[in-house]
Amino acid sequence: MTSRIEKIDTGISVGFVVSAVIHLAVFLLLLWSGRIFPQKQTIQEAYYVDVVTLPVAKPQSGIPAQAESEEPAPLPAPKKAQPLPLPPINVPKTIAKPIQPVKAESLPKNAESEAFAERMARLERNSELRREEAILEKLRSKIKTGASKIGAPGAGGAESGSRYSDYIKSRLEDALKLTTSYTTKNPEVTVRITISADGKLLRMKVERSSGDATFELAVRRAIDLASEKFTPPPTRTIFENGFVFKPKDISNGASR
Amino acid sequence: MAIILGAGIIVKLVLLLLLSFSVVSWAIILFKFFQVQRANSESERFMDFFWKSKRFDTIAFQVDRFAHSPLTVLFNEGYSELKKVVDSDSKSEGSALSTDLGGVENVSRALRRATNLEITRLEKYLTFLATTGSTSPFIGLFGTVWGIMTAFEGIGKTGSASLAVVAPGIAEALIATAIGLVAAIPAVMAYNHFQHKIRVLINEMDSFSTEFLNIVQRNFSGK
Repeated sequence: MTSRIEKIDTGISVGFVVSAVIHLAVFLLLLWSGRIFPQKQTIQEAYYVDVVTLPVAKPQSGIPAQAESEEPAPLPAPKKAQPLPLPPINVPKTIAKPIQPVKAESLPKNAESEAFAERMARLERNSELRREEAILEKLRSKIKTGASKIGAPGAGGAESGSRYSDYIKSRLEDALKLTTSYTTKNPEVTVRITISADGKLLRMKVERSSGDATFELAVRRAIDLASEKFTPPPTRTIFENGFVFKPKDISNGASR
Repeated sequence: MAIILGAGIIVKLVLLLLLSFSVVSWAIILFKFFQVQRANSESERFMDFFWKSKRFDTIAFQVDRFAHSPLTVLFNEGYSELKKVVDSDSKSEGSALSTDLGGVENVSRALRRATNLEITRLEKYLTFLATTGSTSPFIGLFGTVWGIMTAFEGIGKTGSASLAVVAPGIAEALIATAIGLVAAIPAVMAYNHFQHKIRVLINEMDSFSTEFLNIVQRNFSGK
């Protein structure tokens, strides 16, 4: 009659189940809303194409950028001698073969045309050799000056097809990536930079400030950092240009 | 999700530990909430019933209606002990209760024992809440410190100290502290709340024991 009331705490197992469900629901809710797990910003390595050494339609003083290896690139295969449009005279097969890999029946046969063809082939070979020599000479001089070791591969800002302001801009962009810091939304600072004929930073003047002192300081530090790698302007004169600095990129302003 | 997946193995283990702490804490919180709630409401109803009833045996018949009340357990223990004493007195043809109050002492001891058992039952699992509340922030802090150490190591390797490089590592590390606090705050709040509720129940049990002994002494010692 007065037996003790049996109390078994089975409620704790129910509590575990409910708690697990609540945690799962909260996790899914947060995952769905994306508040706790913002998109991870992956840091991408800075790859850039150096516009100063890009191949140009008619190269005048520069050559296209080469790979960074010390050894010169393999030479292009020599051009095959093209058959000359000569009258269809029969030529002995043994002579015609090494010069023209086309059908022997179509080759000239008489001695005059044969000599002519030989001369033409020799001239072509010579011209080909001269061209190869010129390319090799350029490559050697480039390796000697070590231009390819500074900054972008082979970029000196002096090659044909380049703009010195673009070269400076790319250096500034690289430096700004390291120093960037800002406290306002989309700050924008215009800075006029003066570079001496020997590539030294003479002056930097903030023409238009966005009022974000942190970003302005970051820009100044970026310019100082980049100025260590400036090469002299190709014209060997004082270079001056305005650059508009934004957190994401830099654009060219007016140059003088 | 990437912020957690991108963390190191130690930080992941810390997060897992904190998550399990949180799950267990909430299970205990829910269980204790319903346990204390039922104990309170049924105790109230039992006290009404107790004072309205004229006889102990009437109460003993209907005591199963208040099974979750700690006062019911006390009543059962006291009543069964009283019955044993009365039975033994009637067998030995004297009245031990009336001569030296040894029977009342027996009942008192039985009530004390029942009170202690009920306190133990009510306070069961509360120590885990206290442990979670006090250790979770430190465990989270450990995860954060470890994560920041790893992040700085990575920064040293890359050689860059811009915000874009530093921030993700520190964010990954700080999530451990955040989850530690998420586990600890409800545990501490619940622990304090239940401690207060259980203290109230203990006071009720003490009052009931005194009342029960008074009734026993009033009604049985003179026989």
